[in-house]
Amino acid sequence: MADGQTVQPGLDDLAGEAAVLRVYRQAFAVLAREAEKMILTPQLLEVDEAIFAAFAASGSDGLTEEQVRNACRRFPEATVARRFEVLKAYGAVSKVFERPNERYYRAAFAPYVMLLFLRRIGGRGGQSELHELLSAEHRNVSASAATAEDGQASAGRLTQVFRLIANELSIMSLGADVAQLRENAQLLWGNEALIARAEDVHAVVLRRWPALDRECQWLRAGLAAYRDAIDAAAARLIERAGTTRALGLLPAQEWRAFARTAGTQRLGAVLDSFVFDAPAPWFDPQAMTEAAESGGQPDAARMPPPRPAGDDGAGRDDAAPADHDGTGTAAGRLLGESRSVAVADLLRAAPDWASARRVLAQMTAAHHDPALPYTLTWDEGLDVADPGGPGPAWLTRGQFRRNADGR
Amino acid sequence: MTAGDTALAWARARSAGPLPVPAGTPAPAGMIKLTGPGGSWLVPQVPEAADARVLAEMGLPGPLLEQPNDTARMLAAVLRCCWEDPLTPVWPGVSAGSGPVLAVFGAVTGPRDEAAHRRAAVAALRRLDQAGWVRWDEPAGTVRLGPRVALWGSGDLTTLRQLWRSIQPPERAHAIPALPQDPDAAEAADPDAAEARPGDPLEPAQ
Repeated sequence: MADGQTVQPGLDDLAGEAAVLRVYRQAFAVLAREAEKMILTPQLLEVDEAIFAAFAASGSDGLTEEQVRNACRRFPEATVARRFEVLKAYGAVSKVFERPNERYYRAAFAPYVMLLFLRRIGGRGGQSELHELLSAEHRNVSASAATAEDGQASAGRLTQVFRLIANELSIMSLGADVAQLRENAQLLWGNEALIARAEDVHAVVLRRWPALDRECQWLRAGLAAYRDAIDAAAARLIERAGTTRALGLLPAQEWRAFARTAGTQRLGAVLDSFVFDAPAPWFDPQAMTEAAESGGQPDAARMPPPRPAGDDGAGRDDAAPADHDGTGTAAGRLLGESRSVAVADLLRAAPDWASARRVLAQMTAAHHDPALPYTLTWDEGLDVADPGGPGPAWLTRGQFRRNADGR
Repeated sequence: MTAGDTALAWARARSAGPLPVPAGTPAPAGMIKLTGPGGSWLVPQVPEAADARVLAEMGLPGPLLEQPNDTARMLAAVLRCCWEDPLTPVWPGVSAGSGPVLAVFGAVTGPRDEAAHRRAAVAALRRLDQAGWVRWDEPAGTVRLGPRVALWGSGDLTTLRQLWRSIQPPERAHAIPALPQDPDAAEAADPDAAEARPGDPLEPAQ
């Protein structure tokens, strides 16, 4: 008895599985080119469609195989015959009465629904189906009769859908070429609405069955992955669009239609989120220096690396002209007629701190310039100046002098 | 100066770059007013944490600039010719003949085919002129620094001073044999032509 009770549901299950398998085989009949092979060209789908159209027009009597061939005579007869055999093999077309020598056939509706579905997916990338799926799931989980199992199943299905899309997109955005990415760009469109609807479903499930938080967490993760994948793919497309100026993200007709039909408000709304500056490049001095340095050196004549001055006399002619930046003149002015002057005097004579600093910089530059006959020497000791004074507060004693030998 | 005027000036400057204004116009908030021999300019000055160099820090693409290296070299050449004394502020600078500028540009870019050199120079000057970095009076053949150079900060100017010193002055640049022998350059061989010509019509080419 106990055995019977366990076997009985098993048999029910088997019957249910057989029914599912039958519909499954019927639905996929339209995809099979020959038995065991999938369809490869859209023309074969058209043949299938024509066959189903013939059956639809035939009424309740059914059709013989010859009548079907006649109705589909715009296609090659061999092709029609092969498709008919395939549909028969999958059970999409079956005899009206199951007996030998029966000539009339009837068609199942599932393959045609599948055909419609395929056409729509082919046309719109399956996204509208996804929208409808989301509406259906939302309806399911919102229904008052829905149980926690329904909610779990819904969340599980949505998680799988979004994981699949996200994986496909992120693989493409990493590896695929831009043309392929652009072909699949419809996966990117309208994704905000998709995500929002999925989040609605998620919210309903989580509110009604808080115990399903683990499934909801997976769904959230799947949605986040989808969002990231969209961002990555869109960034790649936009980056390419920016360099080629190809606005191929949308078909050209859409751009033209938008430009023609949109009002001022809508056209202006495109720029709403943009802060734009006068389209002028910024020149970073560092970049300018690099550009200038990389410019004057053709590959043929390499410049020798810079040598410390005083190594030898060579290269002196190439050096910048003496006093090319006014250092010598400034040093001469600081010294005046005298041969040597105290640094402290010069700095105290400056009207303010900034000019004192400049004087110091000029002296140091003159000291380090090998072409100029000036020397700056420092002594021990530190003078503290009047704290209210304009110049530097502390001064090291030092001498700035013109070299006797003129070098 | 009302809030509306300020907003209008900002909008204009954002869409068209530095604004030429009649003398005596007060500067709106956040903009600096530059006065030079070519007229007065209003230049928007945003904080350093909000201007174009932030784009570079964040790795975002800025406005597309064709031939960025040649254009930067041309700006360096103009800077060398128009900034007489690097200890003084870079604005307003002096006017320079296009001949010396071309010569310095040639020295910076290295030997090139003469036609290619001239083409690159003209293209770079036009780009810089359009962006407000340089004012190029094409008929008169003179070049000045544009109002945008006043936006370089003190740190930038330190780097630019080094750049200035590293570039040969126009007179020495002439000694380089790969000189373009165009009429402008021949004219510029005359030292007087290389001097600033204060009487030049310095129309801001906007």
